[in-house]
Amino acid sequence: MNLLESLRLSWRSIRGHKLRSALTTLGIVIGIAAVIAFVTLGASLQAGIVGDISPDDQRNIYGWAADPDTEGGPLAGAQPVVSGDDLESIEGLEAVDAAYGYAPIQSQAVSSGDEQVAQGDGVIATGPSYVREDTLREGRQFEPGEREAVLNPAAAGQFEENVSVGDEITITILGGQQATAEVVGITDSNEGLSPFEGFEASPRIYVPTDPYYVEQAGAAGLGDEGPGGTGGSEDVGDGAGEDAAEADDADQAAQAQADGGDARFIAVVVEAPSADEDDVDAAREAAVDYLESDDSDASEFLGEELAMTFQTSAELLQQLEDVLDLLQNFIVGIAAISLLVGSIGIANIMLVSVTERTREIGIMKAVGAQNRDVLGLFLAEAVILGVVGAVLGTALGLAAGYLGAWYIDLPLVYPLEYVALAIAVGVLVGILSGLYPAWRAARTDPIDALRYE
Amino acid sequence: MTRPGAETEVNGATAVSLEDVRKTYQLGEPVHALDGVDLEIPRGSYTAIMGPSGSGKSTLMNLVGCLDTPTEGAVVVDGSNVATLSDRERTTLRGSTVGFVFQTFNLMPRLTALENVALPQLFQGVGRDERRERARDLLERVGLGDRIDHVPNELSGGQRQRVALARALVNDPALVLADEPTGNLDTGTEAEVLDLFGEFHDAGTTLVVVTHERHVAERAERIIHLLDGKIERIEELGSAGEPDEPADGGREER
Ligand SMILES: Nc1ncnc2c1ncn2[C@@H]1O[C@H](COP(=O)(O)OP(=O)(O)OP(=O)(O)O)[C@@H](O)[C@H]1O
Ligand SMILES: [Mg+2]
Repeated sequence: MNLLESLRLSWRSIRGHKLRSALTTLGIVIGIAAVIAFVTLGASLQAGIVGDISPDDQRNIYGWAADPDTEGGPLAGAQPVVSGDDLESIEGLEAVDAAYGYAPIQSQAVSSGDEQVAQGDGVIATGPSYVREDTLREGRQFEPGEREAVLNPAAAGQFEENVSVGDEITITILGGQQATAEVVGITDSNEGLSPFEGFEASPRIYVPTDPYYVEQAGAAGLGDEGPGGTGGSEDVGDGAGEDAAEADDADQAAQAQADGGDARFIAVVVEAPSADEDDVDAAREAAVDYLESDDSDASEFLGEELAMTFQTSAELLQQLEDVLDLLQNFIVGIAAISLLVGSIGIANIMLVSVTERTREIGIMKAVGAQNRDVLGLFLAEAVILGVVGAVLGTALGLAAGYLGAWYIDLPLVYPLEYVALAIAVGVLVGILSGLYPAWRAARTDPIDALRYE
Repeated sequence: MTRPGAETEVNGATAVSLEDVRKTYQLGEPVHALDGVDLEIPRGSYTAIMGPSGSGKSTLMNLVGCLDTPTEGAVVVDGSNVATLSDRERTTLRGSTVGFVFQTFNLMPRLTALENVALPQLFQGVGRDERRERARDLLERVGLGDRIDHVPNELSGGQRQRVALARALVNDPALVLADEPTGNLDTGTEAEVLDLFGEFHDAGTTLVVVTHERHVAERAERIIHLLDGKIERIEELGSAGEPDEPADGGREER
């Protein structure tokens, strides 16, 4: 008897017990669906994240100072310690191409013409090369020291009349001060440009640290104070502040506003000369060495409590991916249990089926069915159950993965090799769970079977 | 076991030969279902087997039909000693030379009449279209041409028995074995089935029929009377198909 005939006959008996067969495959469906859904989501998430690291970003090293015990992603527990002067010195190092600060501006609203929209975050003060030229759809990077801004399309589009290059916008900072800026460029994507921002799409405005952050830092008293200084008063005058004060004495505030030398940055970006691993490591080492040396302003704060972390996008994402992998392994583990339960379900139903159909087996043997024919029939039945479960599970999983990816706005990646794998698992589960029942059926003695009531 | 030369001897005239066949079931005390049976069934003959319940009729049929093997002695079917065959060879021999008709029909409940009749050929590796063609022919021959798509549940007892008959014939078996084929049938249907047996016999098929009914047995050429696993006597009836005068008054004691 050939395979097709076995499958046809087995399909008949499966259809003879529709509900029972459906319930039997449920374990397999759930197991496979869980794996496929999470693998689809995971792959989409990775594609969404990794796709955002442009080759130019690979030479950027993102640094911040935090308690070494702090767990979490970029900027977790970050304190403003690196000064503008430090950045200038780092930029002067041989192994470093550029260094600039990164600081979110605490804004309230942005207006263009008569129209004002609320914007509480997404105004970012940073260096000009933070917005890479290849990500600009229009215009150019902003110049340091100028009142210029680069917007992403979402920020430009939130006004009734789209903001374009050459327009003027006004940013209202927390506390009510207003700062104007000329729009000089529009980026091509609404996603974050670095791990500091996160990668989700939202309206963002990029401005030079000088003047925007320097002004704000000066107003908030950040210019001469380190961690914890934001809310404190200048009279406290901790040891850290004094050194800085010595250097810059009376017109410190004015000078800070002029060149930002004393403004402390919560985060910094160091650009290596190339994306080459050695270059990146050298730049990182040079920056850390400098910041930890007594020459730097930051060294006053760095120590047991506060240490610099410098990581590339890839390294930062690696952590995320590690978490993702862990989660995926967990899901796969649960799915494996579900598959095991599913297999036991199939084996159980097959055993019941063999007993129920003892007489049929006897009839088939009496009319010339060989042991292998009977084995093939029952094995085919188990494999059909497994494969149907796998196919339904795959479809369900893909649909769930698709919905999930769509919901959190990720590029959809179908892990096709997993679909093939799922079907293979279905066949395997069918064979494994059907083997014993089918063997029992095959070795049924026809006389006993015909006698069976 | 097999007497030297047994294989050559059965060629030609003998379809089945049994030599001192014993079948013993060990159930604490041994039960001798068959206790030394010698029997030759000539090719093309029509044999009836009678005997009280438990006398070993079904056991004998199972041995002749290659479903079972004897505890002792030799059963030679179509020139092969059944006991020396492997399970697989025995199944092949059964599939190709034996057609069974069971008292309880033994049809596959979920298959249609046509599929039931075609089933034995499925295991012979015959193609689907050819199978169905042949099954349809046979069903028409037993008068069920209009019932081919009915499942057994939708058929009357007599119709089911005719489906079982058609199935027994589908592989053109040299030997047709029927274990109480008319036990559940009314006289009309019984006559139809018996007439069909007559036709097979005329067509050259070797027939063995187990029955409790004297008039059914009398359709055969000879009647073998079993008692306690032994052949009590063999009654020769001359030409088959013509019921003779009842010898000992109709129905035999059950
Ligand atoms: N599998 C078995 N295990 C134990 N004993 C058995 C088995 N099969 C048959 N027997 C015994 O063998 C004897 C003959 O049984 P068999 O079925 O051949 O009788 P039978 O002549 O067909 O009777 P009936 O007319 O009632 O069908 C019986 O005594 C029965 O109990
Ligand atoms: Mg019997």
